[in-house]
Amino acid sequence: MDATVTPLRVALVGVPNCGKTALFNRLTGSRQKVANYPGVTVERREGERVAADGRVLRVLDLPGTYSLNPTTLDEAITRDVLLGRLVDAPSPELVVCVVDAVHLPIGLRLVLEVKRLGLPMVLALNRMDVAKRRGVKIDAARLAQELGVAVLPTVAVRRGGADTLIDAIESAKWAGHRGLSSPAWQETTAEDAEQFQSDLRGILAAVGYAPPADNDLGKRVDVVLLHPLGGLLVLAVIMFLMFQAVFSWAEAPMDLIERAMAALGAWVGAHLPAGALSSLLVNGVIAGAGSVLVFLPQIILLFFFILALEDSGYLPRAAYVLDRWMGFVGLSGRAFIPLLSSHACAIPGIMAARTIPNWRDRLTTIMIAPLMTCSARIPVYTLLISAMIPNRAIGWFNLRGLIMFGLYVGGILSALLVAFVMKQFAGKRQYSPLMLELPDFQWPHGGNLLLGLWERVKIFMNRVGGIILALMIVLWFLSTYPAPPLDATGPAIQYSFAGKLGALLEHVFRPIGFNWQISIALVPGLAAREVAVGALGTVYAMSAAGDDLSSQLQPVIASGWSLATACSLIAWYVFAPQCLSTLAVVKRETNSWRYPLIMAGYLFALAYIAAFITYRVVAAWA
Amino acid sequence: MFQEILVGLIVIAAFAACVWKLMPARRRLRALVALDAWAARRPALAEFRERSLRPRIAKAVGSGCAGCAANVGVRPHHRPR
Amino acid sequence: MKSTDLNSTSLPLAELRRGDVALVTGLANNSVLPQNANDAALLSRLRDLGFTAGARCEVMARMWLGGDPLVVRVGGSTFALRRAEASAVCVQRLQEQVRPSAALEPKDASAATA
Repeated sequence: MDATVTPLRVALVGVPNCGKTALFNRLTGSRQKVANYPGVTVERREGERVAADGRVLRVLDLPGTYSLNPTTLDEAITRDVLLGRLVDAPSPELVVCVVDAVHLPIGLRLVLEVKRLGLPMVLALNRMDVAKRRGVKIDAARLAQELGVAVLPTVAVRRGGADTLIDAIESAKWAGHRGLSSPAWQETTAEDAEQFQSDLRGILAAVGYAPPADNDLGKRVDVVLLHPLGGLLVLAVIMFLMFQAVFSWAEAPMDLIERAMAALGAWVGAHLPAGALSSLLVNGVIAGAGSVLVFLPQIILLFFFILALEDSGYLPRAAYVLDRWMGFVGLSGRAFIPLLSSHACAIPGIMAARTIPNWRDRLTTIMIAPLMTCSARIPVYTLLISAMIPNRAIGWFNLRGLIMFGLYVGGILSALLVAFVMKQFAGKRQYSPLMLELPDFQWPHGGNLLLGLWERVKIFMNRVGGIILALMIVLWFLSTYPAPPLDATGPAIQYSFAGKLGALLEHVFRPIGFNWQISIALVPGLAAREVAVGALGTVYAMSAAGDDLSSQLQPVIASGWSLATACSLIAWYVFAPQCLSTLAVVKRETNSWRYPLIMAGYLFALAYIAAFITYRVVAAWA
Repeated sequence: MFQEILVGLIVIAAFAACVWKLMPARRRLRALVALDAWAARRPALAEFRERSLRPRIAKAVGSGCAGCAANVGVRPHHRPR
Repeated sequence: MKSTDLNSTSLPLAELRRGDVALVTGLANNSVLPQNANDAALLSRLRDLGFTAGARCEVMARMWLGGDPLVVRVGGSTFALRRAEASAVCVQRLQEQVRPSAALEPKDASAATA
C-alpha cells in the first residue's frame, strides 16, 4: 500500500486528568468513533483527522496511566497498545505525550518511561493558559533540548489551541526518529525508577519549573467537599437537584415529542390506504419506536449533568468521601465512578470498573452495576408512574417525582445489599488500593460537553433507529400474522404468533400479575429495557379495536391495568436484566460465561421475587 | 399486492437486522471476514470492500467494547501490579 | 536549623493531622500493609505519584475513625490515599497547624524550617 494512503496511527498518552481527551476532541472534532459508549473514559476512543496534505490521521486516545507498570487493567491496555501487543492493533507510528504544564513532574516522569520505548514521539505541553495563571513558567525550548523531542505548547480547550501540535504532526518533522518496529520494554526496576527520578529532577531544574501557587478558592471549597459529613451532604444535595432537574425540565420537550408522534401517526393513518403498510407504519414504527423516542430529552439532561460533574473534577472527591462507607459492603471508593456512570448506562460503568485494581472489588462492582437505575429504565418507569400515579403535589415536591426518586434510591440500596451478601462469600478481604487523584477544579468546558452530549444523542438515535426499530417491525409482524379467522371474537392480536406466545408466557407470569401483553413485551424487551415500552406500544396499538389507531399508550394502560400489576412490573424492572448487551459486556470483561450467567440468574430471581411480593401486597392493600 | 410485497421486504430486512445486531461479536466478525473473502474474488465489489467493509472489520476488531483487550488474555485474576 | 531528637524523626504520613505540612524522607518497606499487598509495586506507584525524598506534602483532609482514607497534596497534585498506603511514606514534620486542642501533643517542637 502506498505510504501516503495508509492512515497514520497516532496515539495520545498521558497521566489521567492532563487534558488528553480535550486534546483528542480538538484533533478529531466530531469525527470520533468512540467504541460504542462514551462516558468515563476507559475504553479506546478512536478518531480521524484529515491532514492538510490529504493524509488521514487515525488518532487513538489511550486510557490515562501514571506509569507503564500497570496497576489496573486500563493502564495495562495503554501499555499493551503502545507495545503493539494487542491482536491486530500494531503499535502507533507516532506517540503524542500529553503533559499538563501545571503538573509537569508527574507527567514528565511518564514521558521518560515512554521515551525508552523508542517510538517516534512529540510532546504536547497542555494547559499552558492555566500554567501562566498559576505562575508556572516552563522553558519549552529547553525542555525540547533536554528530551530530544519536539515540544508543542497547546491549550486544548481553546479553538486553535492545538494548531502548533497539528502543524508539527502534519509536517512529519518527527519522522526521522523512527525507532524499533516492535518496541522493547521490561518492567521498571528500582534502579530504573531512581534513574527516572534523578533525570526528572535535572530536567525540571533546567527548564525552571516551580510548583504552582495554591488555588485558594479550590482549597476552601475542598474544606467542605472533603469533610466527612459536609461532603456527604453536598453529594446528597447535588444528586437530588440533578434528579429533580432531569425530570422536571424534560417534561415540556417530552410532551412535544409525544404529540408529534401522535400527530404523525394520525397523518399516516389518514393518508395511506388501510392495509398492511399503514398498520406497519402506525403500529409498528410510530407506536413502537416512536414511544421510545419520546424519552430523548430526559436522556440528554441526564448525561448533561453526568458529563458536567465528570468534567468539573468533583467525582473523585465524592469517591473519597464515600470510600469508608462503601468499604462496609466490600466496595472500594473507586467503585463510585463506575457505579455513578451506571446510572446512565451500565455498560460504560462496567467497563469503567477496569480502574479498580483489586479483582474481587472489580467483580463485585461489575455484578451490582446493572442494579443502578440506568437511563433505559426511565421510559419504563415514567410510563408506568404517569399512567398509574396521580400528579399530586406533596409539599414542595411532586408525588411522581418522589416515587421515581424512591426507585433510584431503591436501586442503590439493593446494589449495596447484594454487595454486602457477596462480601460474606468472599472470604478474607484482600487489600484494595485507593491512590485516587483529585484533579483541580475547573468549569466544565462547553465544547467538550456538547461533543459528549452529541455522541450520546447519536448513540440513542442509533439504538432507536436500529435495533429497536428492527425489533418493533418484527414484533409487529409476529403480532399481525397469522390473521384472525373471519369468525374471530377477541382482538386480532390474540390469534397471531405473538398472541399465542404471550398466552404461553402468561402462565409463567400470572403469579406476579403480568397479563399476556406484558409477557409478550418482555421478550423483545430482553434486547434492551426501553424496548418493552415500544413493544407495549405496538401490542396495544394492535389490540385497539377498529379505527382506534391511537398511539397513546399511557391512557390505555391507565384504564386497563390494575395498580398491583403496574407496581409489580416496576418491581420487576428494578432487578430484571432486560439487556442482553450488558450480559455480553460482562462476559467480555470477565472473560468467562460464568459471571454473566450468575448475574442473569440472580437478577431474574430477585426480579421475580420482588414482583411477586409487590403484586400480592399491593393487590391485598389497594 | 404491492403493499404486501413492500411490507414483506421491510419485515425481512428488519429480521435480518435483528439477527445481525444480536449476534455475538466474534461471530459477527467472522461473518464480516468471510464476506470480505467472498467479495475479494469479485473485482467489481472492490470499492464496496474498501469503503465499507474494511473499516467495519477494523472497527469490529479494534473496538467493540474492548473485545480485543479481553482476547489478549489480560487475566483479571493475576495481573502484574 | 535547630531540632530536637523527636523533630528529626521520621513518622508515617498516616500519622499527620489535617493541615500538617511535611517533607517526604523516603518510602518504607515495613509498612502496616496487610499480608497480600504487593509491596514493591505499591511503593513504586507511590514514588511515581510524587512521594519522593525531598517532596513537600500537606494533609488536606482526613476521614473520621482513623483517617482512612486521607487526602494529601504533593508536588502540586492532590491524592486520596488509604491509611495503609500513607503509612508507607515516611515524612518529617515541617510545621504544625496551630489549633487550640493541639496542646496535648507530646514534646513536639514547633515549626522547624527545612
